[in-house]
Amino acid sequence: MTKSRRRRISTVVRYAVLSVWAVIAFFPIYWMIATSFKIDTQWFAWPPVYIPNPPTLANYRNVWLGAEEYTSTQYAISSQTPLVSLKNSVIISFTATFLAVFFGAIIAYGASRYRLLSEARMFQLLMLRMIPPIVVVAPLSLYYSAIGLLDTLFGLILIYFITSLPYAVWMTKSFIDEVPREVEQAAEILGASRWRTVFEVVLPLIRSGLVATFLFILILTWSEYLLALILSKTNVTTLPIELSKYQGTTEGRVYGRQAALAVGITVPLMIIGLVIRKHLARGFSFGMVRR
Amino acid sequence: MAARPPLDTAPKVSLREVSRARAIRRFRLTILVPLIALFVLVLMPVLFLQLYFSFHQWSIYLGSWWDADYVGLNLFTEVLTDPRFGWAILRSLAFATGSTIGCFVIGFALAYLMHKPFRGQALYYVVFILPMLTVPIVVAYTAEMLLYQSGPVNDLISRILGVEFKPAWLTDPNVALPAVTLLEIWNWTPFSFIIMLAGLSAIPKEPIEAAEILGASKWRIFWEVQLPLLRPVIFLALVLRFLEAMAEFPKTWALFQGGPGTATETLPVYIFLTTWQYFEVSKGAAMSYIVMMLMIVIVLLAIQLLRREKRSLDAMYGKAAREAGGEP
Repeated sequence: MTKSRRRRISTVVRYAVLSVWAVIAFFPIYWMIATSFKIDTQWFAWPPVYIPNPPTLANYRNVWLGAEEYTSTQYAISSQTPLVSLKNSVIISFTATFLAVFFGAIIAYGASRYRLLSEARMFQLLMLRMIPPIVVVAPLSLYYSAIGLLDTLFGLILIYFITSLPYAVWMTKSFIDEVPREVEQAAEILGASRWRTVFEVVLPLIRSGLVATFLFILILTWSEYLLALILSKTNVTTLPIELSKYQGTTEGRVYGRQAALAVGITVPLMIIGLVIRKHLARGFSFGMVRR
Repeated sequence: MAARPPLDTAPKVSLREVSRARAIRRFRLTILVPLIALFVLVLMPVLFLQLYFSFHQWSIYLGSWWDADYVGLNLFTEVLTDPRFGWAILRSLAFATGSTIGCFVIGFALAYLMHKPFRGQALYYVVFILPMLTVPIVVAYTAEMLLYQSGPVNDLISRILGVEFKPAWLTDPNVALPAVTLLEIWNWTPFSFIIMLAGLSAIPKEPIEAAEILGASKWRIFWEVQLPLLRPVIFLALVLRFLEAMAEFPKTWALFQGGPGTATETLPVYIFLTTWQYFEVSKGAAMSYIVMMLMIVIVLLAIQLLRREKRSLDAMYGKAAREAGGEP
């Protein structure tokens, strides 16, 4: 076999393998999107309907705008809108993420420049993330109800802030470590205070890194399920909890509605994730792997 | 606060040094205050409550929790002699191990096929990371739309194979745990993929080029040059994924609630059921306590591993930065 022929075969094999996985990776997402445009008789038809025909926006209108559109069956949940949950989700995830990145960056600066946290302490910080939340969530919910934080926006913000702090510290530290110390020394010689150095020299230098960290943690807080399920009851629901309300209703499976809601929850995340795709490896590996 | 040194013995420079040291100490303290506050105000009370409930029999129906009866180690013996708990541990370990290996093998293979530039690379990359960007609870509900017995997945596989393929993914107790493991693999293969891709593109080129010049086969280069260089990244991908899989809750819960029977009752699901369905808060707390200890042991081992591997990673990036010119 000549070398060029072997190379051609390996190219074909590569495209074949990659394409098979691309189909596997994309098909469920396609199915979710397709189902959201299907009329109700096609949600679980036999044989399955692969392309919505005719496509309809009824699911979106019903779920997001609360439009009462009765098709062949009547669905009990059709009158409530998830806009309140959307508002809660936005408030909780943005605030918690902002706090985590803000304090995380400062702690990371201290760790990077002033040995604020030893290497061992930095790793201990990871435990906040690595111990499964389920093991503390019961006492946490009792503690929350004792101090009046159960079912409040602030309660969820606080716990999301705590659980995303390890990611924030580690990820921003990996960016700060890349800033040469000479810059700060110059600022110090020019008489800038330490806090001014942090806020006006170091953090602006890692601006893009901070944005990446912010968006990365936003992905995690936006999609969190367990803590939101237990620490919120009726006042504060987030979108993932709203989605599970469509489950187990006696009216049967309302796949189209569910899919319309799911698309609304997921698509923003996908866009964010694609924007920071170069930084995802750094984020998920706590800054240990970089590109 | 350090005592001010006498003016006559200390030159001006040293005075500045002292005030600088003091400023640094204040700076460090200010940074640490929020961390310490969180620790004292949230973590400590929660851990204390968990310990309290592990030793006091209380359930929602029993009135105020601070009057609960002290029962010593009864709850722990109850949990440790509960066969369901043992099964839950085994299921969690099987789920975490299976999904970690699955994610890693597929992710690594894809990363290996993609680490050199080729036409369409960016598009494949985008498609491959999409599952990771899907909210876990959405993954669960979409899986339900896909996996019911006459659903599209079975239909498509039947058409491709040309024979009837109809496992009851969601109702057969023998298939449920593998089904949710496969789902976890679908969801998190992108994680292993991006980590391994970053690792593959970061390893130095020279040893590989040298081996190629010496006439080594691709296979030998992979096993003897690339794999040893990738060791830290591999450990990272495996350890972090395993820990996350041990904590997996949304998909398992939303799809199965532990069922059919107890087929998908992993540790998080069993703790959840005990505390919020059976309202046995104390038993749940004792169980949580045991699981927490177990996880702390696992995490400490993992951290030992990660610390060692991080040093070699830092050395690698430091070297790369120096070679790229300028200081690291």
